Amino acid sequence: MTKIRYYGTGNIPGFEANELPGRLIVLEGTDGVGRSTQVALLHEWLEANGYAVAQTGLARSSLVGPGLMRAKQGHTLGDTTLNLFYATDFADRLEKEILPALRAGFVCLTDRYIYSMIARAVVRGVDYDWLKDLFSFAIVPDAVFYLEADLEHLIPRVIAGEGFDYWESGMDVLRGDDIFENYRVYQTRLLAQFRQIGKEYKFITVDANRSAHEVFTDLRRRLKPILRGMQPAV
Amino acid sequence: MATLPDGTPLPGKLFIVEGIDGSGKSTQLDLLHKWLVSEGHLVVFTEWNSSPLVRRTTQRGKKEQLLTPLTFSLIHAADLADRMERQVIPALKAGAAVLADRYIYTAFARDGARGLNPKWLRKLYSFAVRPTVAFYFQVPLEEALRRILVGRPALKWYEAGMDLGLDPDPYECFRLFQKRILGQYNDMIEEFGLTVIDATRPLIQQQQQVRALVMPHLKELMRANLMPWRQVLAKEGLYGRYLQSDTVPRLVEQ
Repeated sequence: MTKIRYYGTGNIPGFEANELPGRLIVLEGTDGVGRSTQVALLHEWLEANGYAVAQTGLARSSLVGPGLMRAKQGHTLGDTTLNLFYATDFADRLEKEILPALRAGFVCLTDRYIYSMIARAVVRGVDYDWLKDLFSFAIVPDAVFYLEADLEHLIPRVIAGEGFDYWESGMDVLRGDDIFENYRVYQTRLLAQFRQIGKEYKFITVDANRSAHEVFTDLRRRLKPILRGMQPAV
Repeated sequence: MATLPDGTPLPGKLFIVEGIDGSGKSTQLDLLHKWLVSEGHLVVFTEWNSSPLVRRTTQRGKKEQLLTPLTFSLIHAADLADRMERQVIPALKAGAAVLADRYIYTAFARDGARGLNPKWLRKLYSFAVRPTVAFYFQVPLEEALRRILVGRPALKWYEAGMDLGLDPDPYECFRLFQKRILGQYNDMIEEFGLTVIDATRPLIQQQQQVRALVMPHLKELMRANLMPWRQVLAKEGLYGRYLQSDTVPRLVEQ
């Protein structure tokens, strides 16, 4: 059972339940750490073991997704506005995807939750207490796995992957054109921020400097006790 | 004095109007606007739910009824934040008079009526500038309903508060929703020190009262003699057939 607890004074009007039969599992971590790979692997593994699985990620809501993409391309939103946009997107997915899935007994795998949004905003100078309260309508997940890798391990993955992203390199907050240097500075700040937030929100830190296979094995092992009590179909 | 959330005073002044639909607040603000401009003040007007960036999302959400009380609340906060960051704060820093039709109290009243936690709402909107004067146009429910429902074919879904399901009939639902909002407003008068205007009085008397209350704040405001630029050029003897428009270029897409 997922016990329904909020992080603060926020609430979801019209939603009344103390617990739901599903499980809310969050994978967090910086860009390139392998979150989506692990989500994909876990999704398949859980299904193969007879669980119903639902997946969701940031900025994918039907309400705000398109508007958010547009706004980011134009680099036109101020910090407060952008965070409220993200919060709207998140609320939409929480109410329309996550809660219904939990109610129906799904294992809900979430690629990032409120923590990424909080971390990236704090690095940009937005007030931490305001952010915490803004996102306090979020329900507390059954587990937050924080995939943590050092910069030395992240950089080759980013280069081999899609390259350095404008936002993930903090180009909007740092000076100059040196995207590599900015990436290093920005990600260092972000990692420090995640560590801070992790203490408050009780992250389960998973060492992601290891191979994808080792991380996957570790995650499966840690997931098992959380799934206890569920009735898989096979 | 308009002040930033951290207490920093701004040279400009922020006057806002609040009240339920049909209270006549927009009419009063419009009259105030015209008067201030005629007095030579630089005036910036801003309106609830009008940020071009956020509006498309809100419109789609309303049209397709995708909005829940929570997302309805957040998207309107995004709208105000966008206007605050790009329009209101810069203008106040420059020393202009800013007029806002509806402000954070609209959100507190409506979202409160929709069941969101009042504490959360107040913190959510803590990014907003504290207004110089917040006018609340107080009117009894039946009077407001009479004004607004006369000759009105249909109420919109969210406008009527149909998402709350208070009543299957849109008009009855609207009435119940407005009643709740009115209650929320009345509770806020003391909490935020709203300046109450009796909106049942004759329109001109209300306006006189509003102007009298605004007047003491106008001394140090920025003045600007704004006339259409073609007229400005004409004054200096400059004419040309390629000078096309008499209007000031519009800054925001509608």
